[in-house]
Amino acid sequence: MRLRSFLLAAGLFLPAAAQAQSNSATSAFAVNASVPGACAVGAPALSAGRMVNFRGLNGTTVQIDQMVDPTTLSTNAASIEVRFDAVCTFPHRLKVETQNNGLWPTSERPGPAPEGFGNAVPYRADITWADRSLRLDADAGVRRIADSSVFVPGAGMGDILLRLEIDPGATNRRANAPLLAGVYGDTIRITLEPQQ
Amino acid sequence: MRFLLPTFAALLAGGVSAASAQTTATRGPIPVTGNVPALCTAGTNTSGSGAFDVGILTDPTTGLLRNDLSAPPKVLAGAFCSAMSNITVSATPLLSQNNLNANGGFSRTVNFTATAAGWTTTPASFTTGAASNPGATQNRPTPFTGDITVSIGSFSTGGGNALRLVADPAYLGSVTVTLAVAS
Repeated sequence: MRLRSFLLAAGLFLPAAAQAQSNSATSAFAVNASVPGACAVGAPALSAGRMVNFRGLNGTTVQIDQMVDPTTLSTNAASIEVRFDAVCTFPHRLKVETQNNGLWPTSERPGPAPEGFGNAVPYRADITWADRSLRLDADAGVRRIADSSVFVPGAGMGDILLRLEIDPGATNRRANAPLLAGVYGDTIRITLEPQQ
Repeated sequence: MRFLLPTFAALLAGGVSAASAQTTATRGPIPVTGNVPALCTAGTNTSGSGAFDVGILTDPTTGLLRNDLSAPPKVLAGAFCSAMSNITVSATPLLSQNNLNANGGFSRTVNFTATAAGWTTTPASFTTGAASNPGATQNRPTPFTGDITVSIGSFSTGGGNALRLVADPAYLGSVTVTLAVAS
């Protein structure tokens, strides 16, 4: 009778203890990843309805349609807005740089323009990005590299808006001076520089 | 010594004689019982570390979530349940650990789907960020032993894939697989 009682007790208690520990089992895994800091500027695109006297965007080039007013032989007004999808995931500096500080003949470095003629065209570049705005006056006073920049203290994403504006009659001489014949151009660079 | 030995022999003979005089007695049957409790073990991870390493989440040219993210699956070898069982998978999304504020246009969350296959006909699956996960628990009506393959995939940016992810070297999430005896 003592032996039987012992067996019954074992049958009652051992399974109960085992079930409390092992009737479920769990495996856990961590999932690890990272996002490095990065700044990126996408390809340019035209802002709809923001183009006057430009032919549009061809790759990364914008071309003025009628650069000279045929009646005055001076500069025609023109404007265009181009946007760039961009992101910068940490504090950074937006820098805009012009290679020529204005539209200058591209074929070769010209000599001094004859008296009364202009041989360069100034323009303005206005940039909006991450609640900041920036203006670069490419005044065509001297053919040189010119730049302007603004610090953005946090991350930014969205469109960089670049608006180029040429005033009517604007030349590097007096207003409404006729322009020397030629192909004029400039190169603009937009840079997002991480500032850690 | 000569006097003690005959006395001992006489006592032993007398004892045998007394037993022979009683009727035969049987004790029993004595029941012998056993019990196999319903048990489950989740097996052993045979796939290296206990972490899914997804790597860099973003395309460096756009800042957007990469669309080719993957991580090698984990295999839980030798899992078993000695009775009808349920397998359940749950997960938490990848969250930026150091960058707690995501301004407009940014997100600090990456959702994914975790699946546990090999135990049931339909793998258990759980998608972080989903309103509900009806397939997270699957039932197996018979005892079973085998391997469970745990995978993650179908990554998406919390708030929408048009959002950029904030920079952080530590995005952490988790996946949990539970085998339990079905009641």
